[in-house]
Amino acid sequence: MESVSPLYSLSTEVHYSPPWQDLSIIGIAGSSGSGKSSVAMEIVKSLNLPWVVILVMDSFYKTLTAEQHKKAHANEYDFDCPESIDFDILVDTLRDLKKGKRANIPVYSFAEHQRQPNTTTLYSPRVIILEGILALHDPRIVEMLDVKIFVEADMDVCLGRRILRDVRERGRDIEGIIKQWFEFVKPSYTRYVEPQRPISDIIIPRGIENTTAIDMVVKHIQRKLQEKSDNHTEELRKLGLVAAEVELPLNVHVLPSTPQFVGMNTILQNPETEQEDFIFYFDRLVSILIEKALDMTLYVSANVETPQGNTYLGLHPKGTVSAVAILRGGSCMETALKRSIPDCLTGRVLIQTNESNEEPELHYLKLPSQIEEHATVLLIDSQMSSGGAALMAVRVLIDHGVEQQRIVFVTCAAGERGLKRLTAVYPRINVVVGRIEEEWEPRWIEKRYFGC
Amino acid sequence: MASKPESGPSPAQGVGPLYRPDGEKPTATVSKEVSYDNVHVLPQTPQLIALLTMIRDKRTSRADFIFYSNRIIRLLVEEGLNHLPVVEQSITTPVGRSYLGVKFEGKICGVSIMRAGEAMEQGLRDCCRSVRIGKILIQRDEESCMPKLFYDKLPSDIADRWVLLLDPMFATGGSATLAVETLIERGVPEHRILFLNLIASPSGVAEFAERFPKLRVVTSFIDQGLDEKKYIIPGLGDFGDRYYSM
Repeated sequence: MESVSPLYSLSTEVHYSPPWQDLSIIGIAGSSGSGKSSVAMEIVKSLNLPWVVILVMDSFYKTLTAEQHKKAHANEYDFDCPESIDFDILVDTLRDLKKGKRANIPVYSFAEHQRQPNTTTLYSPRVIILEGILALHDPRIVEMLDVKIFVEADMDVCLGRRILRDVRERGRDIEGIIKQWFEFVKPSYTRYVEPQRPISDIIIPRGIENTTAIDMVVKHIQRKLQEKSDNHTEELRKLGLVAAEVELPLNVHVLPSTPQFVGMNTILQNPETEQEDFIFYFDRLVSILIEKALDMTLYVSANVETPQGNTYLGLHPKGTVSAVAILRGGSCMETALKRSIPDCLTGRVLIQTNESNEEPELHYLKLPSQIEEHATVLLIDSQMSSGGAALMAVRVLIDHGVEQQRIVFVTCAAGERGLKRLTAVYPRINVVVGRIEEEWEPRWIEKRYFGC
Repeated sequence: MASKPESGPSPAQGVGPLYRPDGEKPTATVSKEVSYDNVHVLPQTPQLIALLTMIRDKRTSRADFIFYSNRIIRLLVEEGLNHLPVVEQSITTPVGRSYLGVKFEGKICGVSIMRAGEAMEQGLRDCCRSVRIGKILIQRDEESCMPKLFYDKLPSDIADRWVLLLDPMFATGGSATLAVETLIERGVPEHRILFLNLIASPSGVAEFAERFPKLRVVTSFIDQGLDEKKYIIPGLGDFGDRYYSM
């Protein structure tokens, strides 16, 4: 359990769930060669969204023993029965993703019939298409599915496709394929695959050629996504109302309104300021914010010897300080950041606010490796208006193992309500803010800084 | 109210942000406090102490010494500039809101005491791009052992400007006193001079603050005292040597 400092015990933590916690999972089952993966690809293409992922159940094959391995090479191992799949891990993976957590997907090698030591990381998809002959087999999975699809095709067509695929893509011989088909694939179809048919929501006959059915599925998913996005926006709004009541905690540091600081803010906010001056004063102002943020990092006492041989009890920084820029606004601050830490490890997260409903959307994520071990992570954004992007970015860091109290969110200007919302949800993060706006204001700093 | 600082060691205390419990603040030696209204010591934050620790350490390489001193100098300049006058200015922001801000008022210039003071020019330029910079060379006269003005080159309109006087180590204040006297001779009013330095000695600060009550001193640290060679202790050695040639 994480220990909570008594200072914060007064504030009640408010919960925020990112949109990917409300993930939609679509299961596509059907015989081998029925066209499941083509249907899945077609759905992805038609949805045309950045966060749709196809999860192939083949990745969850169990690793074979030496004996089973030999059998597999002689085409005598049954890959089509439920026992060959590690359903427990698949269920755990899907549950983690449903919770909005990061999941590691196993990588399976067909050549070695073994799970590889490396994994693929899957994080924050909004829609997952689970595709496999037995996608609707395990009741624990069926329970999590939003749409259950069964793809059907004539068995002759299935066999034909399988032969073509295995010969072309997997370098197998025809005798082996046919032997496997009659010994395992076909019996398994009758025994396990076909029984999934009645529990499916939609049966798609003729697979990919059936555009009407695919279109229906796509429309259904789009409607669901719209509902979820409305819920997310509504939740953000409600959080704002709750948060408006609370006071800003002590770990929110607002820079004092010194004459120079106010003067710089005046120049920056004056539309008549030339771009060249804007950049100069912006970099100068952010340098002050960054130096302030470094007060929130960790230090240890250290005795040093001066050239004259005297000792001084000072401080040394402890651990790595890295940064994560919320794009595009956060990247304006990197020049100033690098004035203080020239070799700062810097991650990036692109969060765009959907203009139609003001919902923040996560588009891209690249974090420094071992970020969970860094002593401090500076999360930088030039401006925070409603706080939606910041909420999401902090959540991303936490999901990647960064503890709240190690995060320092640094921004030049923040809306009061957004700031309260952020600190109500994450009371232990540190915040350094240049100035606080009473009202919400749209992002404009990045446009001025980059000139477009 | 002026009180003479003692020459004992500087105080050690836990440093860190206010909200952090005392047990989580590492202990470090911080600046001595002086009670002169015209002496401004930068807030003793952990990050400032860490920067000072780097430049005091004799093992710190020259490149790092330059980098970390520049960061402290920028903090000093930012603090110094806050003592300059501003006038109210109301503007309409890009989002159409009105903002009551301020405009910088008054011309400034830097004056560095050669050679160590010149090391502070980069930091000054980082904050004030096109600032004019005058120079003063003061050396110890071999016969009288007193500081002597050897050279100066100052902006011709210096009497109309605010002057940021730069010299990183403020030990006895001998050179600084002569520099200030030179500036006053050129018509700069005492109250328009700001003396920026990184490390000061308690006795130097005290004598100076009393001699020039209207002049403002901005420093990042008041050290323990002076040794028999009039070097600041614990200090950081010869700033000019470490910055330029060691």
